[in-house]
Amino acid sequence: MQVTVKLYALFRWRLFREAVREYPPGAAVSDVARDLEITETEIGIVLVNGLHADLGHILQEGDLVSLMPRIGGG
Amino acid sequence: MSTENNQQSTNPAGVLYRRCTVDLETGSVQLAGVPCANLEDVLGGFGRSFQILAARDITRAYSPENPLIVNTGLLTGSNVMTGMRSYFSAYSPLKKSGAGLPAAMWSAGSGNFGNKLKWTGVDEVIFENRSEGPVYAVFRDGADGPVVELKPADHLLGLTGHEKIMTLSREYADAHFAVIGPAGENYGSNYMGAVILSTDNQLKSGEPKSRFAGRGGMGSLMGYKNLIAIVAQSPDKLDRITPAMRDVNRDIIKSLGSARFQPVSQGGGGGTWANIEVLQAFHAVPLNNFRPKGNDDVERLYRDNVEKDFEVVSEGCFRCGIRCHNNLFHRNPDGSRGKLAAKFDFEPLILFGSNLGIHDATKVTQLIHLCDLMGMDAISLGTTISYLLDYNERHPDRRLLNGATFGDFDLIRELVEQTGRGKHELLGQGVRRLSEQVGETSYAMHVKGLELPAYLPDTNPGYIFAIAGGHMSMGTHMLYAKEGKKTVDEWVQAITTGGLLQVGYDMIGLCKFVGVGIGHDLIVNGIREATGLEFSSAEIVASVRRAYLRGLALELRQGFAEEEYTLPSQVLADPNPNVALPSFIDEAFLEELRRRVWSVFLPEMEGLVPERKN
Repeated sequence: MQVTVKLYALFRWRLFREAVREYPPGAAVSDVARDLEITETEIGIVLVNGLHADLGHILQEGDLVSLMPRIGGG
Repeated sequence: MSTENNQQSTNPAGVLYRRCTVDLETGSVQLAGVPCANLEDVLGGFGRSFQILAARDITRAYSPENPLIVNTGLLTGSNVMTGMRSYFSAYSPLKKSGAGLPAAMWSAGSGNFGNKLKWTGVDEVIFENRSEGPVYAVFRDGADGPVVELKPADHLLGLTGHEKIMTLSREYADAHFAVIGPAGENYGSNYMGAVILSTDNQLKSGEPKSRFAGRGGMGSLMGYKNLIAIVAQSPDKLDRITPAMRDVNRDIIKSLGSARFQPVSQGGGGGTWANIEVLQAFHAVPLNNFRPKGNDDVERLYRDNVEKDFEVVSEGCFRCGIRCHNNLFHRNPDGSRGKLAAKFDFEPLILFGSNLGIHDATKVTQLIHLCDLMGMDAISLGTTISYLLDYNERHPDRRLLNGATFGDFDLIRELVEQTGRGKHELLGQGVRRLSEQVGETSYAMHVKGLELPAYLPDTNPGYIFAIAGGHMSMGTHMLYAKEGKKTVDEWVQAITTGGLLQVGYDMIGLCKFVGVGIGHDLIVNGIREATGLEFSSAEIVASVRRAYLRGLALELRQGFAEEEYTLPSQVLADPNPNVALPSFIDEAFLEELRRRVWSVFLPEMEGLVPERKN
C-alpha cells in the first residue's frame, strides 16, 4: 500500500520533506520509522491524517503520516 | 551551604546557608549562618526566597521595603552539569494584581555569576532599602570569609549591559557580573528591565554573549534601588570529579530530554529553534500578535533557511555539554566567520520575528541584539510591541507612538531602542497596563499581568496556573501539540501533577534543559554526589510542590481575583480558524478547569503563607 510520509525539522534535514512510500498491508507507524532509520526515541509527535497517533497505529492505503522530533523549551 | 559537623544529612534543619544582608541606604552588611527550616530552604532558589517574601507585606514594588533577593540553588557551583543558575526574587514592578498589589516573582539565569557568588561563600544576598546614589556591590572571597563592599557606579551609567560587564571585567579579575542595562536604569518608565549575567565566553571573546534573568522586571527593581551591578569575585572552586559524578553528567548528556537541545552536528535536535518547524505543522507559531494566518511566512526563519545567510555555531554555558546555544555569526566576504549577530532561541526569534510580522532573519537578529544590549526581557517587550502593532493596524486613524504596524522594521527598531532608553513608558510598563490604558484588552497577550511567551494561549490553558512566567513555571505549553490532549480531565491532571514541577529547576540550581523530571534518580544522585545530602525523590517532589503552591498562595494574598485566572478574551470569544489543532478552550472549559484545579490546590495551600497584616 502507498503511504505519504512527511518529515519535520531534524528528520527533514536528514532525509526528505515529503515522499510517497510503499509498505505491506498491516504496517504500523513504527515500521515507517524503522524503514527510515529513525529511532523510536527520537520521535516526539506522530500524526496520522492530521490526528495524534502512536507508533503502534496500523496504517491504511493512502494515509498521511507525519513524524516530528522531540521538542522542548522553557 | 554547610552541614552540622560536616556530616551527611537527611534533615533540612541540619543544613545551614550563609545569608548576607546589605542595607543599601546605610551601607551596613550583615553575614549570618541560617539553619534551613525545610527542604525548600535547602534546595534554594525561589523555594527559599518566596518564604522571605511571604513574610513581608509589600504594597508597592518600588518601595524601600521591597527586598531584592539574589540567591543560588543547592547545585549551583557544583560539578553537576548546568549547575550555575542564579535567582533574583522580589515583588515585581511588572506583574500586579487587579487589586493593585505587586506579585512575588523570581527570574533565573545561567552564566557564571551564580557560581562565583557561591564560591565567595555567600548563598543568598538580601538587598534592603535603596541607595541614595548609584552603586555596585562587590562580593569577594576573603581570607576570613566573604568580604562585601558598595562602590560608586556613576561611571557605569548609560552603558549597555555588555559594556558594563566588560568595563567591570577590566577592574575585577576572576570575577563574574550581574548588571542592568539602560532599561533598568530607567526603571520609572520601564518595568521590564532584565538582570544581565556575564559568561566565560563573553569575557574571553569580548562578544556580547550574556545570559539574562529577564522575567518580572528584576533589573528594573535593581535600578530603583540604585544598584547598578553586582560583582562576584572568587577563584573557581569546583570539587574533584568523582566517578559517580561523571556518571551523573554522562546520564544528563545521554538523556532523551537533553538530546533535544544538543547540537544538530552531534545528532541532537538543535535547541529550541526546532520548535518552530514542529509548531508550524499545526500553524501554531505566533504571528502578528499571536494570530497565525495559516500561511508559510514563518518558514523563512527555519534553521536551514537561516543557514544560507549566517554561520550557526553551537556553543554552551560553562562546562555544559548540552551546548544549546545557537549563535549566529555574519559571514565575511571571504567566507570566514564574521561578527556575532545574535543568539537564536525560539522565544526571541518568534517574539521579535514572526509575531511582529518580520520574517527576515537579519532583521530579527538586530532586534534581539538591541533588546539584549538595552537589558530588557525579550518576552515582555516582544509581546507588548506586538500588541501595539496590532492596535495600530486596527486603528489607522489614531495610531500610537510612531505608528508602527506589523513588519515595519525601522519603526519597530526605534521602539525597542526608545523603550530601553526610558522614552516610551507606554511600552515599558507592559501589555496589561498599555491595553487597559487604551481600553482594548481582548488581544493583550498576558495572564495575570505577565506577557505570554511564544506559545499560543489557544493551545495552553495551563498558563492560568503559571506563577512566574507562562512556560517557565507551568510545563504544559506544548502539551496540546505534543499529545493532542483537550479534555478537562487531562488538563487538570497535567497542571496538578507534572506541570507544576517545572519550577523545581528554579530551586536546585540546574537548567531545565537537563530534561528529566525533578524527581528523577539523576537529580537525587546529583544532590548526593555534590553535597552529601540524601533526599528521596518523593521528598524532593513534595518540596517543589509546596514551593509552587506557596507561590500560588502568595498570588491570592496579593489580591489576584478568580477572574484573573483566565486567558486573553480573544482566545475565548474569537477562536482562530487558522490553527490546525481543533479549538477546545471556551468559558465553560476554563470555569470547570479552575473549579477542579482549585479543589486540588486550595486544601494543600492552607497555612503556606501568613495572612497580610494590613
